[in-house]
Amino acid sequence: MRIASTQYHATMNTALQKANERLSDILQKMASGEKFSLPSEDPVGAVRLSRLTREEAALVQYRENIATLKGRLSQNEAFLDGMISDMTSARDLLVWALDGSNTAADINAMASSIQPIIDSLFYAANSRDAEGRYLFSGTLSDTAALTYDPAAALGARYTYTGNAGRQLVAVAAGVQQAANVTVQEMAAMLNQLDQVRAVLSAPGVSANDPVVRAELQAALNVTDQTLNVTAGKIAGLGGAQNILSTLDANHQNISLSNRQAALVVGQLDYADAAVKLNGYTTSVQATQKAYAQVSKLSLFEAM
Amino acid sequence: MTIIYNGLSGALAAQAALDAVSQNVANAMTPGYTRQGVLLASLQPLRGGVMSAGVGVQVSSLLRFSDGYKSQQMWSAASELGRYSAPQTYLAQLEQIFGDDESGINSGLDAFFAALNAASVEPTSSPLRQQVITTADALAQRFNSASQVLQRQRASLGQQRSIIASQVNTLAAQIAALNQKIVESSNGGVNPSGLMDERDLKIDELAGLVSLQVTEQPDGSRSVSLRGGQPLVVGGRAGELTVQNNADGSQTIIVDFALESFNLVDGRIGGQLGGLNAFEADVLVPMMTSITEMAQQLADNVNNQLAAGFDMNGAAGQPLFDFTVSGATGVLAVRAGALPTELAFSSNPAEVGDSANLLALIELKSQPVTLTSLGSVSLSDAVTQLVARLGMDSQQNKAGLATAQAVRNQAEASWKSTSGVNMDEEAVNLMQYQQMYQANMRVVAVANELFDSTLAMLR
Repeated sequence: MRIASTQYHATMNTALQKANERLSDILQKMASGEKFSLPSEDPVGAVRLSRLTREEAALVQYRENIATLKGRLSQNEAFLDGMISDMTSARDLLVWALDGSNTAADINAMASSIQPIIDSLFYAANSRDAEGRYLFSGTLSDTAALTYDPAAALGARYTYTGNAGRQLVAVAAGVQQAANVTVQEMAAMLNQLDQVRAVLSAPGVSANDPVVRAELQAALNVTDQTLNVTAGKIAGLGGAQNILSTLDANHQNISLSNRQAALVVGQLDYADAAVKLNGYTTSVQATQKAYAQVSKLSLFEAM
Repeated sequence: MTIIYNGLSGALAAQAALDAVSQNVANAMTPGYTRQGVLLASLQPLRGGVMSAGVGVQVSSLLRFSDGYKSQQMWSAASELGRYSAPQTYLAQLEQIFGDDESGINSGLDAFFAALNAASVEPTSSPLRQQVITTADALAQRFNSASQVLQRQRASLGQQRSIIASQVNTLAAQIAALNQKIVESSNGGVNPSGLMDERDLKIDELAGLVSLQVTEQPDGSRSVSLRGGQPLVVGGRAGELTVQNNADGSQTIIVDFALESFNLVDGRIGGQLGGLNAFEADVLVPMMTSITEMAQQLADNVNNQLAAGFDMNGAAGQPLFDFTVSGATGVLAVRAGALPTELAFSSNPAEVGDSANLLALIELKSQPVTLTSLGSVSLSDAVTQLVARLGMDSQQNKAGLATAQAVRNQAEASWKSTSGVNMDEEAVNLMQYQQMYQANMRVVAVANELFDSTLAMLR
């Protein structure tokens, strides 16, 4: 084929332009460390990377939820622990009062010791968070868990005014964990303690009086029941903590494998890039040398 | 005794040939220059006689080395190149903006749903509720900036289309004027080769803008029409393109020729103009529709779910998002005056601490939205799929552009192989015609000597 002289220049221009394009592309990639800078370079890779990023964002949030939730559960556990020690003190007093050798004055003194325990339990059950919302009233966060009505008959002055609603927190896709504990059994015990306090504070009360003994026995029973239920709740909280720790570890593992996958999909293989850079550089040098040689060939030089 | 005349005719022919060679060498680098040469023919003896070899040489015509088929190939390659190169800058910009995961709608959605998720730990907490409103606002801004990018692209595409139309008009007028000059020079006996080169360059430029059909006329002029058959240049007359802006944001292209006018229909336009039209119809407008649809369905889904719940005062939930199809400031906004306490996270008016409705809101992330371009996809995956489609469109266009560029390079090389100047060839011609000139002058000298010796005999 007949070749026009300008064709050499055109070919050289095209070759150099292509080579420069490739060089600038590989340099940009080496600078950023990314395998592709635009989705069109690898649409499928871009989709995978984007989905991994979405999943990673969700995992980070679940892990944050778990961390906050674990804090809330520990706080609940601390409150319940406090209640248990109060209830244990009340139980000790009741057992002591059942001892028939106590004098009336002793029993009256015990009665006066029961009141602060009742107050402490009432106060603990109505604990609030920083924004003034009740912690143990179920989903009725604006309502106190326990209400005291001095006008009501003795033994019915404490009522549970919360509900059994649970505040669920998303801790994994489709997995929810309750963040709150309710204390509806506390009202019955407080009423019974209130009643026994009134009986024991009567002048000349005797532990050998069958009526008094029956009151004491009933109070002891309800206290034991409440202790058991509360201990069960603490155990439940411990179990929830374990589940959350396991979930967190799972999230962490998935997150790690996602990040590894993202590296494989999106990160530049520097060895490969370096080899390509070398290849492109060599090809540019060779083209330049060839052009210098070819452009020297002119019959006019020989004339 | 025709030797002296023969020698003279040879010298004159060699001069004409050297003239052509010098013009070729001078224009070796001129774009679009078609090399020329002389066609030599021997002159037959005028009178009878077997001893007469002939009466010299004449330059019967000046040759223009051109191949109409190769020119046509070059022009159609220019149209293909224009078709793929015009949308590439737009595609690259869209990809750059939508491909960036950090600043796009996707990470806005991530943040919004993260805020909802965080609120589920303590659904009554004001700061956590405030965070939901703040991230909702940021999400709305991301939708708005995406929609504005697309709108700006459409506006600049419209401007580019108008500019191309006026370029087409200028080129068509120039081609018509050159056609006229070519016919006039041919009739006046002047070599029109340079004018033809200029005209063909203009046609090449025009072909890059819009796909053409070019037909050679017997008088040396070229008629140019669009691929759909609408005439643009006939002899010395040129048509005109006008771009009309329609109310729905689209544009209509009209070709006026003489008293007739034709609507330019998509699909057969080609060139930069056709490339822009195809990009607008296949990528830009569907993308705009998808973003708007997504914003609308996000707003509807969130608002409907909120309406099913109750806020912290026990009142029925109020909407969080305001959606407007073509708002001046954008498509999505957080309802003015939305308060943290007004977020309806509870499913029971009496239970402020309930989070059942909040959990339903969180689930919206994996609920489907229906987009015209993608069908039913989950909210969290919609943008990823839109970007993937954009990436594939851009990848396809890049591949098309590379092919078109290769075809164009090939067409140019092929055209040059016929019409381009080869310096070595010209050097050979230069030497040959120089020798021819010298030889003919020598013939004249010999004839002169013969004459002298005849005269000397008579002295």
